[in-house]
Amino acid sequence: MTFWFGLSPILVVGLGTLLLMLAEAFGKSPNSANPSDAGSGRSGELALGAAVVLLVGAAFSIGVWMVGPENLEGLEATRPYLVMDRFTVFFCFVLSLGGAFSALLAGGYLPEHDIDRAEFFPLLLLSTVGAMTLVAAGDMLSLFVALETMSLGVYCMVGLRRSPRASEAALKYFLLGSFAAALMLFGAVLLYGATGHTDLVGIGQGIATIGQPGSTVPVALVLLGITLTLVGLTFKISAVPFHMWTPDAYEGAPTPATGFMAVAVKAAAFAILLRVLLVAFGDDRLTSWGAGWPPALATLAVLSMTVANLVAGRQSSVKRMLAYSSIAHAGYALVGVVATLRSADGQASVLFYLLTYTVSTVGAFGALIYCGSRGAEATSYEDLAGIAKRHPAAALAFSLFLLSLAGLPPTAGFFGKLYVFRAAFDAELHVLAVVGLLNSLVGAYYYLRVMVFMYMREPAPGAQPAVPMKSAFVSSALVLAAVLVFALGIAPGWSLDMAGAAKLVLSAK
Amino acid sequence: MSPGLKLVFEAWPYLLAFVVGVLIPRRQGLFERIAIGVVAALAVLLVMGLWPDKAAAADAPTPKEWPNLLNVIVFLPIFGSISVLFLPRQSPKLLRRFTMLVLGLDFLASLWLLGVPMTSGWHFQYIREWLPTFGIRYHVAVDGVSTWLVLLSTFTTPIAAYVSFGSLKTRTKDLCFSLLLLHGAMLGAFVSLDLFLFYVFWELMLVPMIILIGIWGGVEKIKAAYKFFLYTMAGSVLMLAAILYMVWTHKEIAGFVTFDYLALKNLVLPKTAALLCFGAFLLAFIIKVPMFPLHTWLPDAHVQAPTGGSIILAAVLLKLGTYGYIRFCMGMFAGPAWSAAANLAGLAVGGGVLYGALVAWKQDDVKRLVAYSSVAHMGFVMLGLFAATRAGVEGALLQMVNHGISTGALFLLVGVIYDRRHTREVREFGGLAKVMPVYAALFVLVTMSSIGVPGTNGFVGEFMVIMGAFVSLPLGSHGQLQAVLATTGVILAAVYMLSLVQKMFFGPLSNPKNANLPDLNVRETLALAPLIALIFVLGLFPNVFLDRARDSVASVIEGYQEGRKAYMGMEPGAAAKLRPRKGGNLETGYPEPPKPGGETGKKEPAPTAALDQAPPAGGAR
Repeated sequence: MTFWFGLSPILVVGLGTLLLMLAEAFGKSPNSANPSDAGSGRSGELALGAAVVLLVGAAFSIGVWMVGPENLEGLEATRPYLVMDRFTVFFCFVLSLGGAFSALLAGGYLPEHDIDRAEFFPLLLLSTVGAMTLVAAGDMLSLFVALETMSLGVYCMVGLRRSPRASEAALKYFLLGSFAAALMLFGAVLLYGATGHTDLVGIGQGIATIGQPGSTVPVALVLLGITLTLVGLTFKISAVPFHMWTPDAYEGAPTPATGFMAVAVKAAAFAILLRVLLVAFGDDRLTSWGAGWPPALATLAVLSMTVANLVAGRQSSVKRMLAYSSIAHAGYALVGVVATLRSADGQASVLFYLLTYTVSTVGAFGALIYCGSRGAEATSYEDLAGIAKRHPAAALAFSLFLLSLAGLPPTAGFFGKLYVFRAAFDAELHVLAVVGLLNSLVGAYYYLRVMVFMYMREPAPGAQPAVPMKSAFVSSALVLAAVLVFALGIAPGWSLDMAGAAKLVLSAK
Repeated sequence: MSPGLKLVFEAWPYLLAFVVGVLIPRRQGLFERIAIGVVAALAVLLVMGLWPDKAAAADAPTPKEWPNLLNVIVFLPIFGSISVLFLPRQSPKLLRRFTMLVLGLDFLASLWLLGVPMTSGWHFQYIREWLPTFGIRYHVAVDGVSTWLVLLSTFTTPIAAYVSFGSLKTRTKDLCFSLLLLHGAMLGAFVSLDLFLFYVFWELMLVPMIILIGIWGGVEKIKAAYKFFLYTMAGSVLMLAAILYMVWTHKEIAGFVTFDYLALKNLVLPKTAALLCFGAFLLAFIIKVPMFPLHTWLPDAHVQAPTGGSIILAAVLLKLGTYGYIRFCMGMFAGPAWSAAANLAGLAVGGGVLYGALVAWKQDDVKRLVAYSSVAHMGFVMLGLFAATRAGVEGALLQMVNHGISTGALFLLVGVIYDRRHTREVREFGGLAKVMPVYAALFVLVTMSSIGVPGTNGFVGEFMVIMGAFVSLPLGSHGQLQAVLATTGVILAAVYMLSLVQKMFFGPLSNPKNANLPDLNVRETLALAPLIALIFVLGLFPNVFLDRARDSVASVIEGYQEGRKAYMGMEPGAAAKLRPRKGGNLETGYPEPPKPGGETGKKEPAPTAALDQAPPAGGAR
């Protein structure tokens, strides 16, 4: 029993997905003119179902967290394929939350923009299940399978609109994503060849024997394997220079799917990146600043922050700007990953950062959805001009999430940034932290720009400004996200403790 | 006798003045009447306060300090701003009344600060754990330095709000929200003694100020809003980096994390690190002051901001820079501050006092002129702080308040003419004294205060600053030269201000458009009256002010000298160290290291789920 309870965060969502698929297939479409598609016109109920399933999943995560996965018997049976520890449970919670937000947003967005296709919701749920398994994966094989489960659903969601632009985005994401997955698989194969293990702990132990008498592990293969694996994973977190797909895919996808990609996919990829780095590549020589992965990841972090922030400032589409901003945020979180090198708080800071980033980003995409309606979608800055006067609530919500992304107190984003940079200072990465802080200054510029358009500009004469939509789904998601943004910004004590307790427990060296 | 009745008996002069003030005016609304009454009562309060009954004061027991006072002062406006969001947008009258009520209550609450003798040490201290795992506490307190800035803020913001409500009729809800939030954030920054808390309030000021500039500003408002935001933010992110560095260093030495000012003050950093951290803090503060060459955002922001925004900006927001310098740069980085003081003072005199004055002279726009005169005045303040003698720092503190009063009044007066003519070009005016005699008289009066004519407040402050700079130790032999040059700055101030007055008010009435301008109305006079009263009170009885600041300034300077000694005692290449605690009333509320096994460690899970167990048999293939 404890075994099933331990796995329940994943199982509940998985079972819920199956039920939702049945409901979608056998339900009756209110749209009788199109009998071939039973799901069309039923986004409302399916969105509600999906959100409930995911929130129940989140509730089970909390339950397992309270009991403590280490107190549950029999969970060792799934190792190393599924490692249910506090780290996994924490991410199951974050991913369920991100998925539930996306489902709610989709419930408003899809009918509004006439892409009322029911398969969106099972795809969303399946991707979330994939993301959860990815977080739990402790073996290169289950890692790869989970990664593909997560990605395939997302590829489909990107192309949901069936416009040329969406198809281009989906194809681009699919081709590049498959390529990256193949690279990662190749890296895993090389590591297996070198160490004889596919599980992360075994790989780590194999690497640890290098240099000891009698070791048969070839160094060159290991290094090549590590490089390829990291390339595959940093592709998923869309760090520069592996970010090329991001703006196009984010822009072409329906906005709820964009939110899901920016939140769930990225969080899951960060989680598995941390696990792989610390469990398999946690050897002292590999975590040294001289020869290991930290300088490589630090370079990626600096590149991601700087390039993405500079490019984001030049965008004319708000959605594309948010896409670049999500790349920049990957850079900030990477600073925390590099800080795990020497700081005890490094991991916790990344975890907490991802939580704050999830609520703010989902909120920002949600507010962008909320600001537009059919035929009057909000995409460019000009569309948002003067919206504060006509619809103060929409503008206020958008501003709140943007301030959180910019990292201004007293919002969640400020605390996330503070924690990451404090960890970087703890790890004596002073320069990296200062670069990050300066970058958040650049970032503040383009977030402010949206607010300037909303509050201080008037729409050009003759232009068709965006008209906010009316949807209980979207507004409830926004209210929920706003509450979390403030809660994490003003009283983050509980979540900080959670993030601190969710750290991976590593083998004593 | 019941305390309530006793209060009535003791407060009879104020009540009398209030009643007279309410009854005298004819044909005014209830609100104006009450406001006139309050002004009258306050005037009596000030006059009574000037001749304190020494014998009675000696007998009276030390008044109790209510620990929640600062919380009330800071959070009343913040909660007020949140409540504004829930008031109907359609009734601007309600919104305005509510805002004035909150600001008025806040001012009355802050008057309590004057009720206790400001001896050295912290007053009205309130400490609460906020995030124990992060070492962040909610720690607020005032001393003789911040008391005056809090009062300046609670005093000028209602005036600014009152003026704004007269001239800005659009989007009242946004206006009320940002005024209240800005007010609360500024007060919070003045009273925080936790660096994290300070930073939160410091950043919280940004957004409402941008809204004020960007929505109701002039033609170039958006550019000005960006400029203001990016300059201020650039300063503050580096300050955050320095804060984090110091917190980390403190943790390495003392073994626990804290953001508390009292603890970080005792940190003696290695020379390079101290210099860098000092640089980061200094940058944040001198951008805010602003000091040459980082002053360029100020004229833009002032010119574009509405009158109320300008008053708040000049009167209070700029003071955060100088306050930050006293509190944080002099408090935590005495060594680098001391060695850089002479050069920085040169910059303050050359770039601020002289260059600012010369640029002000050449301006065609009255508001721009006043903005550059701000740069010059703030140069004086910074000179006094760099001098770090008692006369210098006290003078600088007084000059901060003076600048708030006289520049605030000047902006108000400029706003009056702008509301009537919608232009601020000097050449559009001439001979206004014939049309608007009261306006002209008050303008000349405020000009005198701004120049520093004896008898007005400006004189005392500038005189003390120059005197302080003359004998200053950190400035060394340059101090005398700088004092002399600063004196020339006073003359230059007379040049630009008086030529402005001459061009605007005297001579023939050159522009026919000005022939029928109405003189000051009740609203405007009411807003100006308290400022004018204070000009004379501070000019004739500066001890009212200086008495309360004296002890705190003395301890600031003492701490500055001790900090410098500790810094000079560092060997090159030595690691950072922590000065031993001195105890005493300056260190009440010093953060204690968390007890082992306390709250924070409780939630750690037992490390049983280790990944170091050998992989199951199936793992290796």
